Amino acid sequence: MSADTPQQYDVVIVGAGVSGNTIAWQLGKAGKKVLILEAGVAVPDSREDYMENFYLALAKTPESPYPSIAERKSTPKGDITIADPAKLPTPRATVLGLGKGPDQSYLVQLLPTGKNAAPDQNGNVRGLQFSSTYERIGGGTSWHWLGTSLRELENDLQMKTKYGVFEDWPVTYPEMQGLWAQAEQAIGVAASTVQQEPLEGVGLKFPPGYQYPMGPIPISLVDQTISTAIAGMQVPGMLDGDGDPTMYDVFVTPTPQGRNSEPYQDRRVCAGNTNCIPICPIQAKWDPTVTLGQALDTGNVTVSYQSVAVNVAVEGLNATRIDYLVWSSDANGNITKEQKFVSAKIYVLAAHAIENAKLLLLSNNKDGICNTSKQVGCNLMDHVLYLTWALIDPNDNPIWGYRGPLATAGIESLRDGAFRKHRSSFRMEIGNEGWNFPSGDPYTTTMDFIQGTNNAQLNGKNQRLGGLALVQQLNSVLTRQFRIGVMFDQAALPQNRVTLDEKYTDALGIPRPHIDYGLDPYTMEGFRVAADVCSKIYERMGATEFTRTSVGQTGDFTYKGKDYHYYGAGHVMGTHRMGTDPDKSVVDASQRSHDVPNLWVVGSGSFPTACTANPTLTLMGLAFKSAKSILAALAY
Amino acid sequence: MTPTPGSAPEAVVQDFADMSAALTGFLSSVLKPSLDPVGLARIYYEFALKQVGETNMSNVLSAFRVIKTQPPQTIADTLLEVNKSDPSPQANIVQSIVAMWYLGAWYRPGVKGSGGFGPTPLQVVSSQAYTNGLVWKVMQSHPMGFSPLTFGYWSQEPGPLSTFGVNTGNGGGQ
Repeated sequence: MSADTPQQYDVVIVGAGVSGNTIAWQLGKAGKKVLILEAGVAVPDSREDYMENFYLALAKTPESPYPSIAERKSTPKGDITIADPAKLPTPRATVLGLGKGPDQSYLVQLLPTGKNAAPDQNGNVRGLQFSSTYERIGGGTSWHWLGTSLRELENDLQMKTKYGVFEDWPVTYPEMQGLWAQAEQAIGVAASTVQQEPLEGVGLKFPPGYQYPMGPIPISLVDQTISTAIAGMQVPGMLDGDGDPTMYDVFVTPTPQGRNSEPYQDRRVCAGNTNCIPICPIQAKWDPTVTLGQALDTGNVTVSYQSVAVNVAVEGLNATRIDYLVWSSDANGNITKEQKFVSAKIYVLAAHAIENAKLLLLSNNKDGICNTSKQVGCNLMDHVLYLTWALIDPNDNPIWGYRGPLATAGIESLRDGAFRKHRSSFRMEIGNEGWNFPSGDPYTTTMDFIQGTNNAQLNGKNQRLGGLALVQQLNSVLTRQFRIGVMFDQAALPQNRVTLDEKYTDALGIPRPHIDYGLDPYTMEGFRVAADVCSKIYERMGATEFTRTSVGQTGDFTYKGKDYHYYGAGHVMGTHRMGTDPDKSVVDASQRSHDVPNLWVVGSGSFPTACTANPTLTLMGLAFKSAKSILAALAY
Repeated sequence: MTPTPGSAPEAVVQDFADMSAALTGFLSSVLKPSLDPVGLARIYYEFALKQVGETNMSNVLSAFRVIKTQPPQTIADTLLEVNKSDPSPQANIVQSIVAMWYLGAWYRPGVKGSGGFGPTPLQVVSSQAYTNGLVWKVMQSHPMGFSPLTFGYWSQEPGPLSTFGVNTGNGGGQ
């Protein structure tokens, strides 16, 4: 083992994603010497390399542009061959690996059984698959974030006080307002506070006179059509009438977005590539490599790529070094590794909610660190996503999907209410990409009308078409498709957790995350209400709903007699929750470990509850708070 | 990463393009423009040839040549055998040629999808094949990840279908 360099670092950060880069930037700006250990490969010189991966990928999954795990030719049986995570130095959870065994899935978890699990005596459905994925590369998973930059609502942060469930956040709403503003400036969020005003009723509040850094992104024709059709719509808080007699307004608001409506940070305006996930081809959407560039520009930040942290050594009270493996791979995929260590005054784990938990549990010879509370790895959450889709009536104007950024508006008006005592809350995201998400369109419908199949459900007569007849048929259906994705404030359950798998490792010999996962009645009741709201929206529009579910596959469950399917939202939260009580939480409000005072564990893993906004803006805001507290600690 | 052009005779490639125009509903001048920096017609012809072999490809083109003066829709319906309950292996090859123009990928003839999704192709032919897929024009849109349009276009209706290279046959839009 050798020390990394003669350089003395003030702070070592694990992970070059949103949080790590933000903290590095702030510390570098203040003259502190920072080393970032990034497990994955470097940010490429040109994103054209990643674009080429995307174009040639057989399945355009979120991971498809990034270092390839999938062959570019399918097998004679039509399967996509994906790499065995045991043979990769930095394997990661992938969409193509979902529902697969450990030879294809990095996360080790129970496989779908072919039938939907019955609820246990507490009403929980266990043995489900955690379906969110992430990247391990320079820049992190937010290469393919959607750009949605909503703020949380006031009651999101005080669920216990207000509704008697879960935990309050240890950060106040006024403090978060300042942190969100910082993050909005850093990202370049396009929005208008005037357009957000209708959401005051659900507890979205801005300080007087607040302005976003740039004007809003125009809403799509899909948004406009839905907004017009549901004018005046109201729905009950609970389906069965009990617990919340209020009727709630349902209306569309433009979404604050981290993509440019005007040139910002030397980046272009959005050209509506409809590809925010998996990759913006022109970087009109902010991503963490922007912030990494700002960090490097301070002259005080160094990144060591292909450097996987494997142990945080704690001696006495404090962390004293990080052990890490520097790997390289030759043309034949042979991996070599060298163990190194580095010491600093302060350490920051910013590796991703699951990877942070893994590293904490791995440290101290797998006895774990920072775990007096026994909460490390527990409370794994996602904004589990329920997808519904529909077709506009042929007698109406087309709705014109597949145009614009992937999402430009949503229904945020149902995110808060007294029903939160009883069921999960949700936001509804309107998609601008037709049925790409649920059906893999336009591919599936196109093949249906060429081959006479009905996989996407629009070719009930099993027609086989060519020529102008094919053009007209496809034009008629594809321009009428739209979808609504619903994301739930999933309950924090201690039994939804990340542990170290005892059997499976990656190519560096590091144990892989083992996941136990399921849904509780509080979360599932939200699905039931959301399904009803979506159907009512489609009814009002005169649209035909095509939502369908499978049974016994990844993401399938049955609740109160109805089958549902959930997807991962990629919002991985809760695995090192923050709080004021060291017996119940892993980090404090600054994301500083209760147990190890010179160690910060940051990112959405710190969220004590999932809340109702997509997490990136909030986790970046918290990174600003952490940076400030680190600077204070360094000055002490 | 574009496959290297081969040595197929230009006249054969032109026949392939003319047949493809009828099959896809697009203008031959769109599939094979006189000034053609991409050369997709040739790339597709040679790619399909490699997949299905000389005999099959020549049978498809021979069938086209017999009826090439007929209206485009008749050509498409005949070669795709839309009125038969089951397409022949040759019609399945024709389907794959249509799919290649629409989706930029080669689909194994006769292999169908299941479980709510279409079949997985053998491969995407090239990145330019992806960005030139016809289905995006059919939707009056652009390939996901390749937008030639400008900020805010998504809040307005697109131009008529006829401006996207479709052979509407009457010179007008929809």
